[in-house]
Amino acid sequence: MSEIKTMRDRDMQKVSAQQSVMKVLGKIVVYAFLIIMAIIVIFPFYWMIISSLKEMNEYRRSVPTLFPEVIDFMNYVEVFTNEDLLLGQLFYNTVLVGVVSTAGGLVITVLSAFAFARLEFKGKNALFAALLATMMIPGELFTITNYQTVFMWGWIETYRVLIIPFMVSVFYIYLLRQNFLQIPNELYLAAKVDGCSDLKYLWKVMIPLALPTIISITILKMMGSWNSYMWPRLVANDDAHRLITNGLRTAFTNAEGVTDIPVQMAAVAVVSLPLFLVFIFLRKYIMKGVSRSGIKG
Amino acid sequence: MKKIISSVLLVAMLLALCLGAMTGCTKPGSKAVEFEMPEGGFDTTKEVEITFYHSMGAALQEILNTAIADFNEIYPNIKITHKSYGDYDGVRDQIKTEITVGGQPNLAYCYPDHVALYNVAGAVQTLDVLIESEYGYTQEQIDDFIPAYYNEGKAFGDGKMYSLPIAKSTEVLYYNKTFFEKHGLTVPTTWDEMEETCRKIKELEPTCIPLGYDSEANWFITMCEQYGSDYTSASGENFLFDNETNHNFIKRFRTWYQNKWVTTEALSGGYTSALFTGESSGGDTVSTRCYMCIGSSGGATYQQPNQTNGVFEFEVGITSIPQIDVENPKVISQGPSICIFKNEDPQEVLATWLFAKFLTTDVVFQGSISMNNGYVPVIKSVEDNPVYAEFLQTASTANIQAYVVKVGLEQADAYYVSPAFNGSSVARDQVGLLVQKCLVIEGSDVDAAIKKAFKEAVEECKYQSGQ
Amino acid sequence: MVDSKHQWKAWLYLAPAIVLLLIFTVWPIINTLRMAFLEGYTTAKEANPFIDYEFTVGIGNFVRVIQYPGFMTCLQNTILLCVLTVPISTFLALLIAVALNSIKPLQRLLQTIFFMPYVTNSIAIGMVFAAMFNMIIGGSARPDSVGIINNVLEALGFEYINWMNAGSEYWANIVVMVVYIVWNALPFKILILLGGLQSVNKQYYEAARVDGTPKWRVFTRITIPLLSPMLAYVIITGFIGGFKEYSSIVGIFGESMGPVGNDYALDTMVGFIYRAIGNQEGTASAAALILFAIIFVVTMINLAVSKKSTHY
Repeated sequence: MSEIKTMRDRDMQKVSAQQSVMKVLGKIVVYAFLIIMAIIVIFPFYWMIISSLKEMNEYRRSVPTLFPEVIDFMNYVEVFTNEDLLLGQLFYNTVLVGVVSTAGGLVITVLSAFAFARLEFKGKNALFAALLATMMIPGELFTITNYQTVFMWGWIETYRVLIIPFMVSVFYIYLLRQNFLQIPNELYLAAKVDGCSDLKYLWKVMIPLALPTIISITILKMMGSWNSYMWPRLVANDDAHRLITNGLRTAFTNAEGVTDIPVQMAAVAVVSLPLFLVFIFLRKYIMKGVSRSGIKG
Repeated sequence: MKKIISSVLLVAMLLALCLGAMTGCTKPGSKAVEFEMPEGGFDTTKEVEITFYHSMGAALQEILNTAIADFNEIYPNIKITHKSYGDYDGVRDQIKTEITVGGQPNLAYCYPDHVALYNVAGAVQTLDVLIESEYGYTQEQIDDFIPAYYNEGKAFGDGKMYSLPIAKSTEVLYYNKTFFEKHGLTVPTTWDEMEETCRKIKELEPTCIPLGYDSEANWFITMCEQYGSDYTSASGENFLFDNETNHNFIKRFRTWYQNKWVTTEALSGGYTSALFTGESSGGDTVSTRCYMCIGSSGGATYQQPNQTNGVFEFEVGITSIPQIDVENPKVISQGPSICIFKNEDPQEVLATWLFAKFLTTDVVFQGSISMNNGYVPVIKSVEDNPVYAEFLQTASTANIQAYVVKVGLEQADAYYVSPAFNGSSVARDQVGLLVQKCLVIEGSDVDAAIKKAFKEAVEECKYQSGQ
Repeated sequence: MVDSKHQWKAWLYLAPAIVLLLIFTVWPIINTLRMAFLEGYTTAKEANPFIDYEFTVGIGNFVRVIQYPGFMTCLQNTILLCVLTVPISTFLALLIAVALNSIKPLQRLLQTIFFMPYVTNSIAIGMVFAAMFNMIIGGSARPDSVGIINNVLEALGFEYINWMNAGSEYWANIVVMVVYIVWNALPFKILILLGGLQSVNKQYYEAARVDGTPKWRVFTRITIPLLSPMLAYVIITGFIGGFKEYSSIVGIFGESMGPVGNDYALDTMVGFIYRAIGNQEGTASAAALILFAIIFVVTMINLAVSKKSTHY
């Protein structure tokens, strides 16, 4: 009996040794994969930074250098000393428009996604399909019509023309609806039994559970207003309302239409910094995710 | 399923409503195309605000602001706001959209095909009445313009004036003077001489590509002009470039390309100035060089070689591009013009005209933008300005912008203008692609391949311009 | 089930979104329909206050689109790129998200890195690719530069491949585009899937761990089903976006949408629409509606499949 036991123990030890070897190997594979992918994904970012540190004639070479031969911070100096750029105003406009449209967009998106995910009403599926369908037409065709609308309302060169028209995006309503669908329906029914109102339930249960996705949407929306270019240029290209991308695109272009890209890259790096810090801050919340809120139902 | 059908029906109904509204309205039928001078002329007591769209970078905007201040000394009641839309296409797209609701500016940077597009909407003000009016140009001022620049505004097939030149550039031949002198080469003035020069340079240095030509489109259009063969026409059949002469010169240049005597921007993967200055391989040994380079006068600073301790690696020479007939030279003119948009208020149009006239005739403004960016001034009298004359004196490798402007001014009589119509930029794009396509043709039946490429290019032009 | 009080509430929640979409999305779509069915329509003509252009109602614009000599090329490229890039990018993103979620050390650093593309300027992204695949061909037998990718191939003992320059072959161009598009799509998908993974109830995993279920089974039996709504989202929007591919091709090959000497070889439906938008909005609208019809059918199929395999 005891012999059998020790044999079994030995087998168990063997198996667990094998398992731990496998485990280490597995970890190595996972890390190798992640690191290789990380290098591939980060390469453009690296490129942006080294371009901003190159002198113009090094940058213009037809065979680009992987690392600047001369590290030149002049481009950054140029960004901060360029008086025509009105960096402060551009920054203020972009932050204002970004924050307001992201906040407004989030409220609308959360409410709509909740209605689509949890509430029952007539025509829900048809309406949802129609919303999806609007994503399928190339948006560039909308520009002229939308311009005519905002012109008619006298919205040209205002903040609202930058904030309101594209505040809501079907893309994100759809995304959040999908995420809400992941949350078990039993929670909702239980809350109903407890006499919890819809809004309270949304606020107390759904939003905390879907927080990682909501933060992802926040990031994407912020980035969207940071990068939006065509529409702002069309409707609000004046000193008081110009947004950052627009300002940067034109500021370093000479009469021949040749852009001083190293300086432009430096400018982009400068204005991206706050955004990057916001990301680092939000990332924490994405990763905390459910572990914090747990499952209370 | 029912829901889908009913929503389709709903959309169809809405559509029908729209179409009904569309055909129901008629427009005021007046054909008020010419400007009508308001009674009492320009009102200097009333405030007028005008807007100007352009694609100027920061440095040029500063010069513009100075010019506006000077202009306001004369006309304090005209307030000018100006905005940059990044590049020429940016300005066009903006105005194209604004025109649909009548929100266009008073004045804008334009290329001829932009004017043609705005003209479809009937939005551009013809300038003939203004030019001849008491506020117009004097004969002396008209004669002061470089003729081809001035005539560009009339290239719309109806003889009327639609735009004014404001800042022009051209193409010139940059050559490595040090190399030419060392080997006793003469600078080519004709394409035959160019062929000879390329052969000699290739023998001297088999790994080099003697000539770089930046813009394929310019090459094609300029060759048409030099041969006197058809390219495009503003009236009747638009796209005429599929002809025997053009096939032949393309075939000739294809041989050059295959011999590795010439390359272009697209074919070498970058501006050929990089090959010319030898910066292509990280500064040390360069396996491929160009010793001649035909490029824009606006990019002169990029043709400047590296310097060590204040000494340039080689001296640059600049001259006019080679010709077919040296007695009758033709070189392209590029760069923006300005056009004035129609407006219900004749005072606004008049104020815009006065500003446009100021920009095109003010020696200080014309001289400043030329010195800043290597533009060729559109009026000859700029050369009489002492500051500017001094600038031209400094023409050398070190001050390459002055050098290139000097050459640009010397060839003032050689500039030509291509016809402008809605689709002329499509033709330009297509012939550029056509050159690329033909130069790289391989295989035995080159003639047939060239023929086919031309035919397809004309078809594409017709399709893209909506014919 | 559906009581009227609820109905009223649902519409209230949806109201702001619907109002904005009606004004800024639905109305433009209706206008697109109008432009598509007016033959030879252009906005410039319509705006002309002096000449009253009469556009006849008909399907002329649609006919024009189909008659375009390169129409089949556009269609083929659009579909090919879509079918290749969506599965590849989704699969890679899923692997990365799951791997990222399973590690402890370096997790924060790696995550930050996967977010970085969001603060990268789009111009930079285009330039990187030129540097990686672009061959700079000089006059000598050996090119001045063959690009990093070819350097790697050379080190591995392979021959150079002309990826995107004059004389390059179609399959090579497609490979470049697929790599570029997948690369571009990865960060977004990783972000979404990672967010989704974080929302998944951890109890399921703990239960699996207690049972000693092997990793692979956990992945296929727990992770994928629980993540299926987000996967469905990523795939469906991937297809919708994939059919609208345009700017990535311009980013690599320029406005001529093909390698030098073979322009429009990689033309797509939206590429066609873009060119037409310049001065023939009627034709552009018609092409957009044709594209819409294609995407609509594909999305319906996608939705049907996902309904069957999605576990809510």
